[in-house]
Amino acid sequence: MNLFKAFVAAGLAAIGLCPLSANAHPHVWVAARAQILFAPDGKIAAIRHSWTFDEMYSAFAAQGLGKDGKPPTKEELAPLAKTNVESLAEFQYFTLAKTGPKAYEFGEPRDYELEADDKKLVTLRFTLPLKEPVSAKKPFTFMVYDPSYFVDIELEKADPVTLKDAPSGCSLTVLRPDPLVGGDKAKLDESFFTGLAPGANFGVKLATRTIVACP
Amino acid sequence: MARFVFAVAALALANPAVAQFAKNPFSLGVDEGAVGHVGRLGIWLLQQQAHFYQALRLGVEAAQKSPSAIFWLAATAFGYGVFHAAGPGHGKAVIAFYMLANERALKRGLVLSGLAALLQALVAIALVGVAAVLLGLTAQKMAAATHWVEIAAYLCIAALGAWLVWRKGAAFLAACRAPRLPASSRFQCDNLGDDLAHGLRCAHCVAPDPALLGDHFSWRSSAVTVVAAGARPCSGALLVLVFAFAQGAFSIGVWATLAMAAGTALTTGALAASAVLAKGATTKILGAQTRRAEIFARLLELVAAAVVLFLGLSLLAGLFVSSRLWTL
Repeated sequence: MNLFKAFVAAGLAAIGLCPLSANAHPHVWVAARAQILFAPDGKIAAIRHSWTFDEMYSAFAAQGLGKDGKPPTKEELAPLAKTNVESLAEFQYFTLAKTGPKAYEFGEPRDYELEADDKKLVTLRFTLPLKEPVSAKKPFTFMVYDPSYFVDIELEKADPVTLKDAPSGCSLTVLRPDPLVGGDKAKLDESFFTGLAPGANFGVKLATRTIVACP
Repeated sequence: MARFVFAVAALALANPAVAQFAKNPFSLGVDEGAVGHVGRLGIWLLQQQAHFYQALRLGVEAAQKSPSAIFWLAATAFGYGVFHAAGPGHGKAVIAFYMLANERALKRGLVLSGLAALLQALVAIALVGVAAVLLGLTAQKMAAATHWVEIAAYLCIAALGAWLVWRKGAAFLAACRAPRLPASSRFQCDNLGDDLAHGLRCAHCVAPDPALLGDHFSWRSSAVTVVAAGARPCSGALLVLVFAFAQGAFSIGVWATLAMAAGTALTTGALAASAVLAKGATTKILGAQTRRAEIFARLLELVAAAVVLFLGLSLLAGLFVSSRLWTL
């Protein structure tokens, strides 16, 4: 029966190792903007996210809402906004904020809303506070991505990140990776960001990194 | 034994399809799993799929304006179906392992994968048709309904696996216990040196009659396979349907979904065919008529059956660990 055991083991190993649902290629696209909110003492207090969904997901979000062909109102979309933001908690809000190798924790998100524009594109906005405000004297880095890559989050082309109430002299750098170039940088990203979410490390490779540094 | 169970559980949880317990915050109710490590080719494939997907949306809009564009939309949807099914997914795994476990006829394999793809399209059309078009449900309620369909599909996979393990386990035991040779021929076989020619021929009389080993084609198991592989709709089809409905052109979404199913059937059919052919080739190489080859083939089938059961259980386990199950 050793042969039998070997085969069962091989079968189990095969199914354990092969990603059975690797076809999670994005079904949802997001054009993202972020605003870094500074506290009066010059520390970074929160990130205000603004995610605009693609036409198809927007149609899904607006399904059954809105009267006479009009886009749904914020009030109508409020329950979905609540569900979205609450379930984002399990995914660390698709946000990774770091100084060097140290990742920060977030508090409860606030001021969240879903809004549909006149083209019926739906935008989710929420403010994500850092648990403790963070000094940006050392470069503060953050990325927005879905580790499972069900959602493709790309920063908007124009003014993707802005600073609010920042001390004078703060600088902002946005680095967009090219996944097909890869090479050393990809390796760096990988070693830098591994251990975020087990088995789900693809989204990070396509994520844009934003660096904030203050004097 | 406890250690074995623990190992199985650990493996089930190590499966990336299951590892991501929580549903994506923007999920449509079915879990599409996570993208694991992929190479450059994988990234390229993902980009191609993304292009097809965007083209689908443009196709729906174009088809609404001019009826001739619907052919272009159908072609795009077909291509999306082919690409989308090319990635490994549980529906394909169910079909492939069912074929390995239970099927020897190529034609039936193709029919089964075609039916599974068609069912997948019909479930998506029915879901959106009832939930969105007739009842006007919101996104959250639709996602909840879809989620229940997903649970039912996973239960089906586990049930199919259990049935296959039962049948194939019995067949395997029967093959092991199958009567050896009648004493006289066995005697001759044992004396190969005396009659080498007969010794070679001798192998023919040892194979048990396949008819005794539960090889009968079963409509019931085929139907369960179609349901297990095809009941869970894909998020892409749901989105196209909802989007088409939002544009006031639900029927365009229906055509696109059916074309998508044709593309999916092409890919899963190819997979089912290769499973059947691989099984046939293995048996041939081993020499189909020897007793040892028969036992080996039965063993392979039993393993494939166990894989289906394991797949269903681990998908269900993933759902049950997910806290989202309780909030729906």
